[in-house]
Parts: sequence; structure tokens; C-alpha cells
Amino acid sequence: MDTELLSDTFVDLADTMVADFDVIDFLHLLTDRSVRLLAASAAGVVLADPRGELRVAAASSEEAELLELFQLQNDQGPCLECFRTGRPVTARDLTGPLQRWPRFADAAAQSGFRAVEALPMRLRDQVIGALNLFRAEPGPFDPADLRIAQALADVATIGLLHARNLRRRETVAEQLQAALNSRVVIEQAKGKLAERLSIDMDRAFQMLRDYARNTNQHLTDVARDFVDRATAEFPPPARRQPPG
Amino acid sequence: MARPDAPVADSRALVAWGRLAAHAAAHGRRVSVADVCAVAVSSARLSGAWLAAARGGGPDFVMCVTDPVCEQLAELQLMLGEGPCHDVLASAAPVLAADLGDEEFSRRWPAFTPAARQLGAGAVFAFPLIVGVIRAGVLGLYRGSPGPLSEGQLGDLLVLADAATVMLLGSADGDAENEDGAALDGQAPDLALHRAEIDQATGMLTVQLGVSAAAAFARLRAYAYSQDRRLADVAGDIVARRLRLHRDPG
Repeated sequence: MDTELLSDTFVDLADTMVADFDVIDFLHLLTDRSVRLLAASAAGVVLADPRGELRVAAASSEEAELLELFQLQNDQGPCLECFRTGRPVTARDLTGPLQRWPRFADAAAQSGFRAVEALPMRLRDQVIGALNLFRAEPGPFDPADLRIAQALADVATIGLLHARNLRRRETVAEQLQAALNSRVVIEQAKGKLAERLSIDMDRAFQMLRDYARNTNQHLTDVARDFVDRATAEFPPPARRQPPG
Repeated sequence: MARPDAPVADSRALVAWGRLAAHAAAHGRRVSVADVCAVAVSSARLSGAWLAAARGGGPDFVMCVTDPVCEQLAELQLMLGEGPCHDVLASAAPVLAADLGDEEFSRRWPAFTPAARQLGAGAVFAFPLIVGVIRAGVLGLYRGSPGPLSEGQLGDLLVLADAATVMLLGSADGDAENEDGAALDGQAPDLALHRAEIDQATGMLTVQLGVSAAAAFARLRAYAYSQDRRLADVAGDIVARRLRLHRDPG
């Protein structure tokens, strides 16, 4: 465990939450750091849509293959089970015989993952999603790492529900839908930019995020402006000087 | 038919589409947004529903109402320029005002809230008809008595709002409405609306076709329908760059 990176991570996450922030960008930072801190190969935050679907809010890589692994868990897999039981769910070797989730295990193994862990995102009695960690090596995750992973999942919950006022139960559902629509806006922008510059989706995401950071704007706002604009020029022609 | 571990989503959406089709058939018409309003009221035990298309920035074109109170609730918001339907278009999230007597709502909509209560609304729920940047309109609902929606009712209403969104975005030229309101035109509903590839493909098509996101989404759906393929599969081909769509000649 890199304790310096660990403390830096919680400082960065806390810093973000002090001010107004973009929830998808925040969750992306969290998945990024989960990978680096927990010796994982990939990580994702999956949210439970009341429509009855699990939907990806952020992933450490924006490649279609990884996103597909999260989507696949609408049928079966550790995320679905974690969401249903509210408990951590683990698979230590996805290539062995007698897999509990054969379709998911096949797809994960084909992408080079051997072990997976899903940690619940809980608010009081409600499970709103899961933090999903993938590893290239089989075997159990270290128990100390898992405690940190659960702490990161809890921070993800707090970040997602950053509304000042959670007095009304309905606020949780409203925030969740807002986050899910932000994610759709970002996917649309990734597609437009990937097509414009003939780059892959992960690269397109990085460019959008870097531009948002450098100009001190929310990722979702940058993505929305870009998709809504009649031209596909990127970075967009300067309309005004970025603040700061 | 259902797998033991089948996702709830498909079944919830299937049931909702089944109810819409049955309701439309009982009235001898194609499935339209009017059926969405009626089915929303019955499945979530509400008093009324209305649907407004977003022509400009706001919920400014009321397409159907299930009772006179709805008509007044919709008009009130247009007149006052405030209320849940304005908020959902701005925030792209539902507004679930389960008790209009809650002081939060009289602070939030100082003119709308007392007027709505006077009309007999105890609870108002509004759902954005939105796919990412594409804003089609708003589904509004009210109940005479205050009280929250159950998780199941919320899920049903989200699925019904998706159905209405698809209907409103039905035609590439944005001229979705006819005398029945926006209708499905005999198209099979696609239940897999929420897939990253569909949104990515929509973005890619804005460049390939040189059109808005709304028009790109409509072209994507029209193409999938004309080829008798699933929307998610066509989107996957576009994202994998195995398929390109071309600008309409002329």
C-alpha cells in the first residue's frame, strides 16, 4: 500500500467536494485512484437505475470493452449480486471451472481479468450502486485493501449525493438521474470527438476532461456545449477567457 | 421465457410497452403520447398526467392532458415561468414533489405552489424527456393527495418517460406531432435505450451526417428499423467503425 498516495487521494477527493464539482469527473478520479491504490487493473462505479438497470457512471478506462463488462452485469455478475444483497461480492478466479456467472466470467477472462470484487455503495438502508474492481491476477484481494476500497465506495456515495439537502428521500432519486444523464451527455461528446479526430473513446474522454480542467469548467458542461455546437472544432474557438 | 437471473429492466420495460399497446388498441389507434399519459396515471395511481414538448427552451407546447386540472397546471407554469416542468429541463433530472405542503416547494416556486394546491394538487412529479443533450419535453403528473412514489412506480414512470421520449424524437426533421400527438408509427419499441454505444454512435453521427444530436439519434433509429436490426447492434457497428451512415442527398 502506497500510504502517501492514499492520503493524497483522500485529500484530493475532499478538496473536490468542498466546492461545486462535476460528479462524473469526481467519480472518474475515484476509479483512477482505486486502480493505482489497490493494485487493480480496472475499476468502475456502477449505479442502480430505478428502471431496474445497472448503469456505468465512471470507469478507469473508457474503452468500450471495459464498459461492456459493466453492462453485461445487468444479466449476471458480482455487481448485480452486490446490488441485490448489499454486501461485498468477490470472484477469485474467473478462469476456473464451475463459474457462478459463466457469461460474465467468459467475457471478463477474454478481456484479461482473472479476479473481480464488487463493493456496495450504501446510503442508510438503500444500495445505490457498486464499486467494481478488476484484477489481472487470480487470488483474493488483500483484506486491508478491501477496507480502503469500501471507504472509497462510501466516498463515491457521498460525492454522488452531494446535494446540500438530503432531507427528502426523493432527492437521492433525483441526483441519481441527473448523474446518469450527465453520463449520457459525456458519451455523446466522446462519440462526436472520436469521429472528428479519428481517435478512440478513451482518448476522446481524456481530451474532454483535460480541456475541462484546464479551462476550469465542469466536464458535463464542456461535453454539452461541444455536442450542441454546430461545428465539431475542438478545442472550441475561444468565446471568452477561462476564469482564473 | 424469462431467465431466472433476467434483468428487471427488460421485464419492467416490456410490461410498460405491453400496457401502452393494450391501451392504444382499446382506443383503436396507434400508440401515442396520449397512451403514455393514461398508462402513467393508472400504473402509478395518480390523478392526472400531461405532456409538453420543448420547442424552445421551456415546456412550451402542451400535447396532451388527461383532465382539466392538468391543463391548468401546465398552463400555470408557462404563464409563471416557474415550476417543476421548468426545473426538470434545466437540471435534466426528475422533480419529485411528493408533498406540495412542504415549505421547500413554496420557497422554490412561490407563485406556482399555492396556485397548484388551490387547483387540488397535493403532489406533483415531473420527468424530463431527455437523452443527453437532446431535449424532447416533459412528462408532468399530479396526485390530489400528497405522498411519495414507490420504487416500483418510479421505475415504471421512468420507463414510460423513455417511451414518450422515443415517440417525440420519432422523426428526423423534428416534426413529430400530428393530430394524435407523436406516435410510434408501427415501429417495434427498442428496450435497450440506455447503452453507451447508442450515445457514442449518436455523437459520431452528428459529424458523419452534419446534423444535430436529435436528428442523428432519429437517423440511427430509422436506420436500425429499416434494416430490422436492434438499435444497440447498429450503434455497436458504428462505434467499431464497421458502419458509416451518409448524408441525405438534397
